[in-house]
Amino acid sequence: MDDFRTKFIEEASELIEKMEDALLDLEKSPDDENLIQLVFRVMHTLKGNSSMFGFEQIEKFTHNLETIYDLVRNQQLALSEEIINTTLACVDHLKNMLDESNYEDSDFMTTHNGLMAKILYIANPSEHPMGTDGASPSPTAPQSTPAQPEELATYYILFEPHETIFNNGTNPLYLLDELSELGQIKAFAHLNRMPAFEQLDTDLCYTYWEIFLSTDKDLDAINEVFIFVESDCKLDIQKISDVNILNNNKFIGELEELVRTKSDIGLASAQQLAMRSTSQVKHAKAEVVKKERINTREKNVSSIRVSSEKLDSLMNLVSELVITQARLSLFDNQHDVHGLTPIVESVQKLSRQLRDLAFGIVLIPIENLITRFQRLVRDLSVELKKEVDFIADGTDTELDKTIIDNLADPLMHILRNSLDHGIEEAEVRIAHGKPVKGTIKFKAYYSGASVIIQISDDGAGMNPEAIREKAIQKGIIAPERKLSKKEILDLIFLPGFSTASKVTDISGRGVGMDVVRKKIAAIRGEVDVDSELGRGTTITIKLPLTLSIIDGLLVSINKTSYVIPLAAIKKIYAVDKKLKYGSFNNLKTLDDEQIPFFSLRKEFNLTPSDEQMEQIVVVNFEDSNVGLVVDHVEGEYQAVLKPLGRHYKSHDIFSGATILGNGTVALVMDTNKIIKMFAHLTH
Amino acid sequence: MEPLTSNKSNSYLTFKLGEEQYAAHVDKVLNILEMSPLTHVPKAPEYMKGVMNLRGAVLPVIDARIKFGMEATEYTSNTCIVVLDVDMDGDSVHVGAIVDSVQAVIEIKTEQILPLPTLGSRYKAEYIIGMAKLDNKFIIILNMDAVFSADEITTLKIEAETTAMAEETAEAEAPTEAN
Repeated sequence: MDDFRTKFIEEASELIEKMEDALLDLEKSPDDENLIQLVFRVMHTLKGNSSMFGFEQIEKFTHNLETIYDLVRNQQLALSEEIINTTLACVDHLKNMLDESNYEDSDFMTTHNGLMAKILYIANPSEHPMGTDGASPSPTAPQSTPAQPEELATYYILFEPHETIFNNGTNPLYLLDELSELGQIKAFAHLNRMPAFEQLDTDLCYTYWEIFLSTDKDLDAINEVFIFVESDCKLDIQKISDVNILNNNKFIGELEELVRTKSDIGLASAQQLAMRSTSQVKHAKAEVVKKERINTREKNVSSIRVSSEKLDSLMNLVSELVITQARLSLFDNQHDVHGLTPIVESVQKLSRQLRDLAFGIVLIPIENLITRFQRLVRDLSVELKKEVDFIADGTDTELDKTIIDNLADPLMHILRNSLDHGIEEAEVRIAHGKPVKGTIKFKAYYSGASVIIQISDDGAGMNPEAIREKAIQKGIIAPERKLSKKEILDLIFLPGFSTASKVTDISGRGVGMDVVRKKIAAIRGEVDVDSELGRGTTITIKLPLTLSIIDGLLVSINKTSYVIPLAAIKKIYAVDKKLKYGSFNNLKTLDDEQIPFFSLRKEFNLTPSDEQMEQIVVVNFEDSNVGLVVDHVEGEYQAVLKPLGRHYKSHDIFSGATILGNGTVALVMDTNKIIKMFAHLTH
Repeated sequence: MEPLTSNKSNSYLTFKLGEEQYAAHVDKVLNILEMSPLTHVPKAPEYMKGVMNLRGAVLPVIDARIKFGMEATEYTSNTCIVVLDVDMDGDSVHVGAIVDSVQAVIEIKTEQILPLPTLGSRYKAEYIIGMAKLDNKFIIILNMDAVFSADEITTLKIEAETTAMAEETAEAEAPTEAN
């Protein structure tokens, strides 16, 4: 039974997270029926699950919460900011409710009762319909939501009062008001009969109207509005569409265009336009329904729970398979067995596909983190009274689950810093001519074999001078030391450095950027900072795509095999050694481009070879190309990365090793680190 | 030569580096391998001889002679790799140690282990558990965890000192004991 409860808690946490996600979206587009539906559905599932597993408190709590959203989705209750705020507070509370030991805490119970009362208050007054229009379905019959919009129809009304209409005390504008109570209206007033000012008789009515009304009432109800003026006006009411086309921007636009050019729309052209829009609206509606169906179908398939241990053993097996496959290929090369080659090739193909698939499984989109961040930014901006827009881009970028898990804390820290120290107070922003609302951008994208995550704000930026002074004051650098701007900014990653001049509740709890860098380094990532005083700060994090298998190029140097990650490689050139050493300053012109190069033989302190030809492997290095000279290029190779072990921990120019088909070990180069090391040595 | 395990016994594996005999508790020894080709890791410290494939895993191999500050010699047919399971900050880590030759598995009772003579502050006692005298020969019992897990550069320095000291001690001790 305990097992079931754990499972319930696991599932419930997921549901709550989903709900939070949907709520935050809903806050941005409160009219989105799909989102309201989603929130309702999630609550409903949560309620069902909790009653099944005996979490009565949660069941009761969600039941009441669900009532609100049932009203909302049946359009008996408008979704206000208050509702969303309360629901978000409830979401937080629900998370705590999962831990039953909390129920003994009196603070917890106060919150609980407070929220409960609030929910009931929101749900209750609305049980009496808000008086928009009668026939609303009862809350106990939760049928498919937008029952009413379906019955809407659009009418064309030509209302042309006689000039003398004012004589019996009628104000045509009141009639329009009355019409608007029937539904949504769009009225065009025509003033073209208005005489010149001198001839104007204030007792006469010169204006006439063309009105479009979309309503669920029938023709009689519309006629009733005009019942007292029937004899005093020319009236023409025609149904032009059996759906609401007044929300169709194109239709309205066309109407406005007509009014501008021809002044009168006329029944004929109104009908014509309406016909086109009707089909469009219907089409769009069908699309929405279809999309919804697809969405639900996708959702059903996409959620399958597998324990991470199973995944781990799958990965290990795939790694073993890849190694064994390499042995098989080698065997095939060495022995001439009839018919073996095609089998080996298909095994190779299959194992590659299997590998990609298996590794795809453990990749999860970075989106999973974003909800948390949106929430953080939202809450913090309220707390700090700073208006901030959080824009997330590239959230579908996928990363290894372990990397994502280890990324949450450092990213939260960076975001907190941006909000607290980066974005200025509203007055300061206005004074600097910036928009009042600050912006924090989160951007993730692939770059070669890495994923780049950038967090940038348009806040105050960092003052290199201030950082420098502080570093001197703290004894981190010597006063006379000359540093470039980048080097100065890099100082913030040193232990014991905190730029905040005052300690606030949000950041400055003694945990600094040094911890961020350490945590990111632990998942083989790198973090950099760039800042423009007055313009904002950008933090860039570079992460490896996956931790275990890479596509590589097998090369040999002095009869030893090495693997260079394929993702870093641009091109390979074969060069005559004599020509190469004649080149100036370790630069070689290849394809009209001057490329600096390093001889790995030389850099690895090996004796020069006596072979005539060498290969230059050109790799990417910080936006430029660098050549690495090797003896031979053996070919493409899928390398299962094995750690070099703790003894080589500080030796990071190799990101690991791999076992070749013949059982020997080949080292996998980290080209970035290798080039950095060599570049450093030559300077 | 697979498992040399015993229930926290008094068994020790003895091996030679130069003329000196050392011992490691068998619980720390996983395997003894013939000297096999290693993949050299460029730019690593000299005593880090390279890596090898041990049943699908990558095993770092350390030359014990260089690590202990002795002169490197040619490998012979007696040269062995002792695969050790050492404790590094609570994690068990496998590492191979190249030794001149493996001698035997012997019993050393706890009471036979002599504490190190406190000859001066230079002695790094944490690398050596003690000494034992068997058949008129001294065996230095090493603390494998400490020797093979300490930070490489400092270890090198300290180890060089320690070994020199150990030799000195052994020499100094021998005559007194013989009397």
